[in-house]
Amino acid sequence: MMNRLYFNFLIVFAALAVAGCSRKQTPRQQPESVDTIPMLVMQVQKCSRLYTAEYKMHKIITHDDEIRMKGKFLNQDYDVALPMGSRKIAIPIDATVKAYIDLSSFSEKNVRRVGDKIDVTLPDPRIEMTSSRINHGEIRKYVALTRQNFSDKEMAGYEQQGRQAIINDIPQTGIMEMAKESAARVMVPFFVGMGFNEKDITISFRKDFSDNEIKKMIVTASDAERK
Amino acid sequence: MDKTGKNKITLTKLNIMLWAVAVIAVVVLVFGFCHTAKTSSARLEVDDRIDVTPTIITSMKQIGEWEFLSVNDEELVDTIKRGFLRDDKLVRIYYGKLSLGINMHDVSPRWIRQQGDSVLVALPKIELLDKDFIDEARTKAFIETGSWTDADRDSLYHRAYAKMLTRCLTEENIKTARENASLQFGKMLKALGIEKFAISWQE
Repeated sequence: MMNRLYFNFLIVFAALAVAGCSRKQTPRQQPESVDTIPMLVMQVQKCSRLYTAEYKMHKIITHDDEIRMKGKFLNQDYDVALPMGSRKIAIPIDATVKAYIDLSSFSEKNVRRVGDKIDVTLPDPRIEMTSSRINHGEIRKYVALTRQNFSDKEMAGYEQQGRQAIINDIPQTGIMEMAKESAARVMVPFFVGMGFNEKDITISFRKDFSDNEIKKMIVTASDAERK
Repeated sequence: MDKTGKNKITLTKLNIMLWAVAVIAVVVLVFGFCHTAKTSSARLEVDDRIDVTPTIITSMKQIGEWEFLSVNDEELVDTIKRGFLRDDKLVRIYYGKLSLGINMHDVSPRWIRQQGDSVLVALPKIELLDKDFIDEARTKAFIETGSWTDADRDSLYHRAYAKMLTRCLTEENIKTARENASLQFGKMLKALGIEKFAISWQE
């Protein structure tokens, strides 16, 4: 009886194996080729921007990550740090922020002449982070034995967040006021050279700007790419 | 029925009762467990946000950099470490913007002057306005296999810097910036009502 059972089992197994082997080979679909290298662009743009104020800024980006277990048990929320070891990183970053006046749209509409006097209204200043530099030599890390080291992608992510944090702090720096004052300092000799008396020259801007308006005047990387 | 038979029946009843209680207990437990499992949840989380830290202004200055050509560049830079079993690779994409123009702090004292009914403008030579042009915090980590140090990343930065400089600071771009500067100055002078002007370049 047992032998027969084994015999039946073997037959079923063999049949399944044959079925598995003789499965019709469907033509393997070629994976659609995807260009994983983002398009590298060199974009040249003619412009007329007078950069008038420059701020150097420094920030230490810190990140402390521990694995936490979060959830609900018996209708109670819980949030517990797991004793799997933590990781910490501090990345020093230096950034240069500049303010400029876009003079490419400058026209006779910006100029008002009454007798010997000249009144020039300059376009609204714009602000841009022109460069940033990670101080690789000063990066400090702590990684517990049970954890993996910080990957390049993770570090780049923290750096991008740090960059955005610096941009968010720009309106409080007072760069706009310096940009306006400096623009006047650069432009006045220009008009003096053209024959105007210094006391007859008035350089003004459309208005004073609130922090929210200044935020909108910050040129981000995506804006630059769009141009 | 004798006494032994009665006892047997009583024992069997007891057994059935015990089994029934046990089964009910198991069912209740399973039901309770399922209910708790339904209303419970657990997930592992790693917070990837950075901490809030202050931003410090280390310097501020008034500048006069007049940009006439802006060159946005992206550079793909990679490095490979040959290994016994496999090669380690690090590929990053750097972003930068090179500004070509004139520095108004370099102009000569009488760089713009009136001569008769004309205005003469002598501009300093076109140059790279800022040597720090890479926005390293925007860098994209593209491929990373194996382990790499911060010194390796620093070295990639310098290679990207050299590549951008070679690609963007060309004679052609300097010429374009110069032509655009002449055009823009002419436009400004016309806007101020000056029809006769001459623009020259300091060597």
